[in-house]
Amino acid sequence: MTTLLIKNGRVIDPASKRDEVADVFIQDGKIVAVGKKLKQKAEKEIDASGLIVTPGLVDIHVHFREPGREDMETLETGSKAALAGGITSVVTMPNTAPIADNQTVVEFILKRSKELDLITIYPAGAITKNEDGAMLSEMRELKNSGAVAISDDGVDVDNPGVLLSAMEYAKTHDMLLMNHCETPELDESGVMHEGWVSTELGLPGIPEVAEDHGVAKGVMLAQRSGARFHISHMSTKASVASLRDAKRAGLTNVTGEVSVQHFALTDEECRGYNTNAKMYPPLRSQDHVDAIIAAIKDGTIDCLTTDHAPHIEPDKIKPFTEAGRGTVGLETSFAVMNTYLVARGHLPLAQGIALMTHKPAEIIRQAKGTLAVGADADIAIFDTEKEWVVDEKQFFSKGKNCVFNGKKLKGKAVYTIAGGKLKFDHGKIIS
Amino acid sequence: MAVVLSKKSPSAAEKDLNGFRKNRDLSFFDLLSIDQVSLEDLDLIFEVARRFRDYKTYKFSFNKGLSQVNAFFEPSTRTQASFDLAAKQLSMDTTSVGSSGSSTKKGESFIDTVETLAAYNVRTIVIRCSQAGAPEFVARHVPASIINAGDGWHEHPTQGLLDALTMLDEFKSRDLKGKTVTIVGDIKHSRVFGSLVRILTKLKAEIRVAAPETFLPDFVENFGIKTYWNVDEALVGADVIYALRVQEERGAKGDIPTLREYSKTFGISEKRLKLANKGAILMHAGPVMRDIDVHSALVARHPQSRILQQVENGSAIRKALLWLMADRVDGKVKAYTPL
Repeated sequence: MTTLLIKNGRVIDPASKRDEVADVFIQDGKIVAVGKKLKQKAEKEIDASGLIVTPGLVDIHVHFREPGREDMETLETGSKAALAGGITSVVTMPNTAPIADNQTVVEFILKRSKELDLITIYPAGAITKNEDGAMLSEMRELKNSGAVAISDDGVDVDNPGVLLSAMEYAKTHDMLLMNHCETPELDESGVMHEGWVSTELGLPGIPEVAEDHGVAKGVMLAQRSGARFHISHMSTKASVASLRDAKRAGLTNVTGEVSVQHFALTDEECRGYNTNAKMYPPLRSQDHVDAIIAAIKDGTIDCLTTDHAPHIEPDKIKPFTEAGRGTVGLETSFAVMNTYLVARGHLPLAQGIALMTHKPAEIIRQAKGTLAVGADADIAIFDTEKEWVVDEKQFFSKGKNCVFNGKKLKGKAVYTIAGGKLKFDHGKIIS
Repeated sequence: MAVVLSKKSPSAAEKDLNGFRKNRDLSFFDLLSIDQVSLEDLDLIFEVARRFRDYKTYKFSFNKGLSQVNAFFEPSTRTQASFDLAAKQLSMDTTSVGSSGSSTKKGESFIDTVETLAAYNVRTIVIRCSQAGAPEFVARHVPASIINAGDGWHEHPTQGLLDALTMLDEFKSRDLKGKTVTIVGDIKHSRVFGSLVRILTKLKAEIRVAAPETFLPDFVENFGIKTYWNVDEALVGADVIYALRVQEERGAKGDIPTLREYSKTFGISEKRLKLANKGAILMHAGPVMRDIDVHSALVARHPQSRILQQVENGSAIRKALLWLMADRVDGKVKAYTPL
């Protein structure tokens, strides 16, 4: 029997509508009691005075690169990076090598994750074989081996006929379909948002309509198919408007996420040909950022993610057009949310936490993201006042490519508990 | 141990040039964008370049003992020849590398290639490449002075400088206030435009652009220019007509139906030339696609054409730059951070 008592923290559990100073008592990996001045005796006590105690964060969009590109990230380094950011559950995207379009890869990830015993990893399988947008993957096999969703992340399922079939087939097996919505014929081989900054830098731009079109197509097909359809990393005015309209029209099967960098930063970050700011979808202009924040505030957006995308250094010390795409984010996502949404007065803290805990857990239908009695004891304890300057060299992640590098953020994980065990304590992983 | 080299006494021509330079230095160590170039820099470059022009191919010893690499990762005729001759006429040793015979084809990264070239202790590296920003990126990490000779769709600063010199000499003025420059053609894929629009803005010209919408990048009017779909309207009242080539190799294919239709709609003909102000000049950065962007009769020998004057000015501008950049009076050296 292992027991742990977290005392005197401000417990914020949006799923239980709790926001009060209280204690949390954990036994054998489960939450046993939450309340004021608990009497239980525990083997270990954590004094959380002045800190907030939340469910461990759930990030349904990450790239851990294993199997295949263990030089960029492994399930181990990715999991440690997650713990350092207060994240205890992730959904890994299937674009590994080989691609997770078959049960073997899914089973490998689950087996390795169990051995590691760090966080909960939910693999996503591919929508199509080899993510080439042609033949459907064996979704029933993927589901039975433990995949919680399917996605061809990195690319859209370009052919609408294939996407419709994929949705109808996914619906048959009650599988969540996540889609990277970006019509390739409209992206003009761009490397950043098309706008004034791309014009000044002379870089090929990706017009926003590439995403707008992809999202509109996806919503239309979701309406037709009735499949559970989730839009990955939205970044434009029109794509959040499409999602808002879909919800108003009563499409309860459609959800959407925003990656935290897309409400925090603009395409100005690309100046100086900063390759850390190269990502797909690209960082947009301020008008898009404003629309994204408005959509977060009015409830259009269902959850926040990182799209954590680690790269080796040689992929980023390249001319911008050739550099690897993506930014790491697991160790900064809470701080980014707290800094750019809460501290700036856009969102109450509890609402931000909801978007990073029970709301994403509901999308993947996993019993995570809550501190309710009986729930898995996945808990994050943050200091919301702590100000720090991001230094990517200090990350647990192998990916030292962070678009927030050098920026001052507010809020940091102090302790992270996963499966009832203290795994992260003041900057150190405990294993 | 450092060896101190003494300079032999300057020739009369060199003394003459020194008289124009008046111990001035440029504000920059690498030339990556016209944005870096101040009005004082412009005065210095133009004054020295004009004098170099008078000396034609005279061999100066200013940069003797210094070396230059011309790293042209994309095809070039005039720019490469011009930089090479300029360096040689300043007594520099030069060598050239290109993408077909270089290690980049063997998978070497861009920065490793340029770092290796810099390790030969060369003073200047002239870079042309297809990736916007690549010269800026390597400039931060090598001690050699980097000169951008065209990076993707971004800039071609020495072209902008020679174009400005050609216009200023034509109008015998220190700026282009009150002059209208109409730029016609493939704006979006043109690095020539990227530098031209920046330098014309610095010199206070009124800038117009005529192109089909597919050749106009987003928010191009933010440069402070006026855009036209009708070239004839854009030409009325112009003092300079600047034609740009359709850059099929840089992605312009598909932006226009055919070159035939483009030539009819936007090509500069004798008739169109007459719409501009009397005495207006015609410029083109080359290579000209005869009868497509500019009609054959107008190309080199037409009285209003300044195309060959541009080439001559290019030589003078590059000599001025190489001297000013490689042979600093203040002795300051470039700061850089090795990777």
